[in-house]
Parts: sequence; structure tokens; C-alpha cells
Amino acid sequence: MTAASQLAQVRSVAAGGSAAAFVLLCIMTGIYAVHEPSALSAFGISNLLNNTVVLALAASGLTLVVLCGELDLSGPGVMAIGNVVVATTSTGSLGATGNLAAVLAIGAAVGGLNGFLVAYLGLQSLAVSLGSLIVCQGVALLILPAPGGEVTDTIVQAVSGDIRAIPAPALIMAVTAGLWLLLKHSRLGVALYAVGADEPSARLSGLNTRTTKLSAFVMSGIVYAIAGFVLSAEIGSGDPRVSDSFLLFMYAAVAIGGTSLGGGRGGVLGTLVGACILSVLQKMLFALGVADFYTNIFNGVIMILAIFFGQLSAWLARARHRGQG
Amino acid sequence: MRMRKARALPRAKVVPEAPPVWRPAVGPDLVPALLVFAATGLLVVGMMLASPSFGSFDQLTAILVTAIFLVVASFGQGLVILLGGIDLSLGVVIGIGGMMVAGLTRGSNDALMSAIPLTLLSCAGIGLINGIGVGLAKLPPFITTLSSGITFFGVALGITAGSSQQPVAPALQTFMNSGWLGLPYPILFTVAFVAAAWLFQNRSAEGRKLYAIGSSPGAARVLGLPVAALTIAAYAISGLCAGLTGILLAGYAASATLDMGSALLMPSIAAVVIGGARVTGGSGPYLGTFAGALFLSTLSTVITALSFSQGLRDIVQGGIILIALLLQSGRLNLRHHRWRWAHHQQGGGLT
Repeated sequence: MTAASQLAQVRSVAAGGSAAAFVLLCIMTGIYAVHEPSALSAFGISNLLNNTVVLALAASGLTLVVLCGELDLSGPGVMAIGNVVVATTSTGSLGATGNLAAVLAIGAAVGGLNGFLVAYLGLQSLAVSLGSLIVCQGVALLILPAPGGEVTDTIVQAVSGDIRAIPAPALIMAVTAGLWLLLKHSRLGVALYAVGADEPSARLSGLNTRTTKLSAFVMSGIVYAIAGFVLSAEIGSGDPRVSDSFLLFMYAAVAIGGTSLGGGRGGVLGTLVGACILSVLQKMLFALGVADFYTNIFNGVIMILAIFFGQLSAWLARARHRGQG
Repeated sequence: MRMRKARALPRAKVVPEAPPVWRPAVGPDLVPALLVFAATGLLVVGMMLASPSFGSFDQLTAILVTAIFLVVASFGQGLVILLGGIDLSLGVVIGIGGMMVAGLTRGSNDALMSAIPLTLLSCAGIGLINGIGVGLAKLPPFITTLSSGITFFGVALGITAGSSQQPVAPALQTFMNSGWLGLPYPILFTVAFVAAAWLFQNRSAEGRKLYAIGSSPGAARVLGLPVAALTIAAYAISGLCAGLTGILLAGYAASATLDMGSALLMPSIAAVVIGGARVTGGSGPYLGTFAGALFLSTLSTVITALSFSQGLRDIVQGGIILIALLLQSGRLNLRHHRWRWAHHQQGGGLT
């Protein structure tokens, strides 16, 4: 690879805003490590990843929908159903694998319904997913009206333990990143960006925008379901309301990671970094002795800063483009 | 889109001499509002038939009294959505409004005269910050209001240390629980509020300008409309309405908690959408938003009367939002065809 093409690649990443997020993550991890030397130990890192993995997965699913120019609020609903299904049935005859399959099917079904209503009937995604979020939360409450249930040890150990000395959450996030790279360079991935950036042009150049949007919703539903599955393993029981608080932070992670909420710009790698930033932020503020309730202020400020950097780099990219043209 | 086009063409052949402008007695924009009003009426009548104990005068006024919160909150949300934006800080601002009025009065009526303006001003100030972020800094509304909501929640949590629940001034509680000539004050307030909101959104020059900005910000700028100023004003009004909702809610509940507004955020968006507005902006009359708010409040009261479990309750509410959207989409598609047809006749290009 020549130096020029490397530079171009660096620039294209920077244009997505995720480079700024990565620099921010490094700085924050540095501050945290100075105040809490155990942060960079194997235990500290695996602890951090354990805290991050659910948000990272949920936000990655959301990223797919956001990239193709739609919004999705249904994530916490799917996670809630996934969580209560695992908590009520995992000790039964289904077993861990059957359980995972059932949860994935539910996620695909909810995503498919959202996608059908948005892509084929032309309904507004924000409103549709608001409706399905509320329905899903209701279904979760019907399955398990109060916190309880039990997650079988097989699942807990598989998801939060170590696999060949590598923490499972790290593997999950690495696999997510790998699958994303495969998707990004596939036809579907290119179509996602094209539809999000300019839907009429994408349609005129022969892309099936409906199938693309439907696939984005189905994939995101499946990823939410995995997030719900991992969440169950983390907390070891069922709670139909535990995922409610995720919604804001999912959008925060996506935005901090440099994905444009208008679609067509960004990616899952940035979102993973964004999710890490949010959890390192909490640890860092705790290590610095900042009172717990002020954490929210920093969350809000960091979101605005991230958007600002994202817009600045997009503006720079446009300016450079004009200069060349 | 492709499907719509395919459907539009045969229609064009069947009606060769269709008039370019199609004006029924009731404007097409008002149809969803009327349908939602009808659905609200049906809901109440159906409930009265199903259980004779339901539907006393007191119960009907109780429905209207509890509707006040969503009616007030959804007006601001509706203005912001009209501009193609969204206000996700609304729930937090409601909580802040309630906490402020409770904290400033501490159970005495004397402080009320200064507490209410101060609270409204602060809440409008949060809206103003949102508006500056969206209108001047050109940040996406979704992120701006989300992060300002998170930030101000943190500020309020820090100031109140997370746990204070002061008593609210008795006068405010009296206002929410008594009436004049048999009509509760909250209902009279709602009527006045709805009239003012309707006059502003659909009968004033400023309201027209908001519709113009929402349907095409670029064109509005070319026309010389003060886009940034009006955007900031819309967000400030949304903050103001949220603060007012918080004050009313605190009076109704006789105490305030910081998260008491979070249950109103999603319904405020749903009310606007059910009433026939598009989230992308530029459409939907105020009466639609009002109808949506009234419908959702009535639905919630009816579901409570039926003593559904919380799960079933959520399923019904979410399902109704989806059904309302489906019903609307059929209507919108039809209108879209007429519009395209009219333009086609006039020889106007579609792009």
C-alpha cells in the first residue's frame, strides 16, 4: 500500500468522525489508567468489556438501520423479550443453543415487521418503531411480570467467562467488528450506504431500496436479540424493565462513534468505540471522584462534542473535495 | 415509491379530465383529526356500553382533566416536529418544571407568583438552548435534544441530590382539583390552551411560516423567512410547554419527582403522529395533535378502568399506534396520487 493511499484511507476514516472518537477514547483511557493503575490489567480490561458488550451490540444493531437513513426505537423492546425468554426457558428442555435460536428468531421477526412497514408500506420509521417498542415491552411484561427467573449456568459461563484466556466479551466484540467489515464490503453493505446517502439516486441507479431497508431492519433485530441474550448472561436473571435505560445510550454510542443520524455516513466500528467511550467515561469520572449524578452531564457534553467533530470533519472533507474538483 | 407510481398511472387513464385542485368541504389535512376524534368518541361509548358503571359525568371530566398534561406537552412537540425536528428533552424538562415549582414554593402560596414565571423561564431557556443548537449550530435535532436532556437531567440530579420531594403550593393543588360552575379548572384551562394553540399554529402568520420552513427549509430561506429565529422560537415554546406541563403535573400529584415526565415523552410524539403529521415536517394541523393527545389519554384511562395488566396495556397502546399509522398511510398515498396527478396536468415537472 502506498503512502498516498494510506493517507487517503486515514482521511476517509476521519471524515466519518470515528477517528476523533478513537482519539477521545485513548485520552480518556489514559486519564483513567493514571488514576486507577489496575485499569490496564487483564482483569480491569475484561471488567470494562463486560460492562460494555451489551451496549456495544445493541448500538451496533441500531447503526445498521441508521446508516440506511431510518431511525429505530425498538431495540430495548427486543432486548427485553430476549431477556425474559432466556430467563424463563433456559433451564428447560430447549438448552442453550435452542434458546439462542429462539431469541434470534424473535429478533428477526420484530425487525422484519418494522422493516416491512417502513420499506414496503412507506410508514415513518420513528413512529413505527415507537409502536413496536411499546408492544415488545408489553409482551416482555406478559412473559415475566416481575423481575425473576434464572439463566442456566452454561449460558452465563459461555458469555461472561474466558475462552482460551481471552474474555468472551472481547471475542464477541471482535466478531461483531469482523462481521461488520464483511458486510461493509458486500453488495448489501454498499447498498446500505447508498440508500442512506441519497435514496432517490440509489433507486434510480437500480438498487432495490426496499429490500435493502428490510434487510437492515432484520439484521438489526437479530443483533438486538443477541444483545438481549448477552444481557441475560450478564445479569443472570430476567427483568422486563432492565433494558429500558439502553435507548438513550444506544443513540449516544452511535452519535459519538461518528455515524450521521441522517444516514449514509459512519459505521459499526465507530459505534463500538462510542460504546467503549461511554463506559470508560463512567469509570474515569468515578476514579476522579466526580459524584455519580454528574456523569450524565458529561455524557451529554461528550455527545455534542462528538457530533461537532463529526460535522467539522465532514465539512473539511467537503472543502477538500471542492478544492480538488 | 415505485409502487405508488405504478398505481398512479392507471388512475390517470380512468379520470382524464380530473380538476387540478380538489377541494372537499373539510380540508384533507383535517380528516385524520376528525377520525381520531371519532375514535375517541367510540372508545368512550363502547366503554359505557360494556360496563354501565363507566361513563358517569365525574369519570368523563376526570378523563379530560388527565388529558391536560399530554395536550400541553404535545403542542410544543408538535411545533418542533412541524419543523422536521424532534424534542427528546421534553420528559426531562417536565420533571425539571415540576421539581422547580415544588422546590421554590415549598408548600407556601406566597412564593407562587415568582415561582411560576421563574420555572417557565428556565424551561423555556432549556428549549432556547436546544433551538440555538439546531437553528444556529445546525446540529441534528435528535442528538441536540437528547444530549441536552441527558445533561440537564444530570444538572437537576446534582442540585436536588436525587431524592428531594417537596410539597407543592396548596393553591396549585386547589387549581387542579376544583372548578367553576361544575367544570373543573383544568378543563377550562385546556379549552383556552387549545384555542390559543390553534390560533397560533393554523391562524397566524408565524404559524404559516413554520409550515413553510418545515416543508422546505431551503425555499423558506430563499423567501427571506427568518428560519433560525423561528426554529429557536419553536424549541423555546416546546420547553415552555414542557415546563407548564411539569407545573400542572406537580399540582395534580401534590408532589414532584425528577423522572415524572419521562412517561410523557413517547406519548407526546405518538399524539402528534397519530394526528396525521409527518415526522419529516411541514404537515399536520394542530387539531390533529390535540385529537391524538385526547385519544391517547382516553385510551389510557379506559385501559386503567378495564384493569389490564401493564403488559397487556402496553400491547394495546403500541398496537393502536401501529394501526393508526397503517390507516393513515393508505390515506396519504391516495392524496399523494392526486397531488402528482394535479401537477402532471399543469405540466409541472415532479422534480
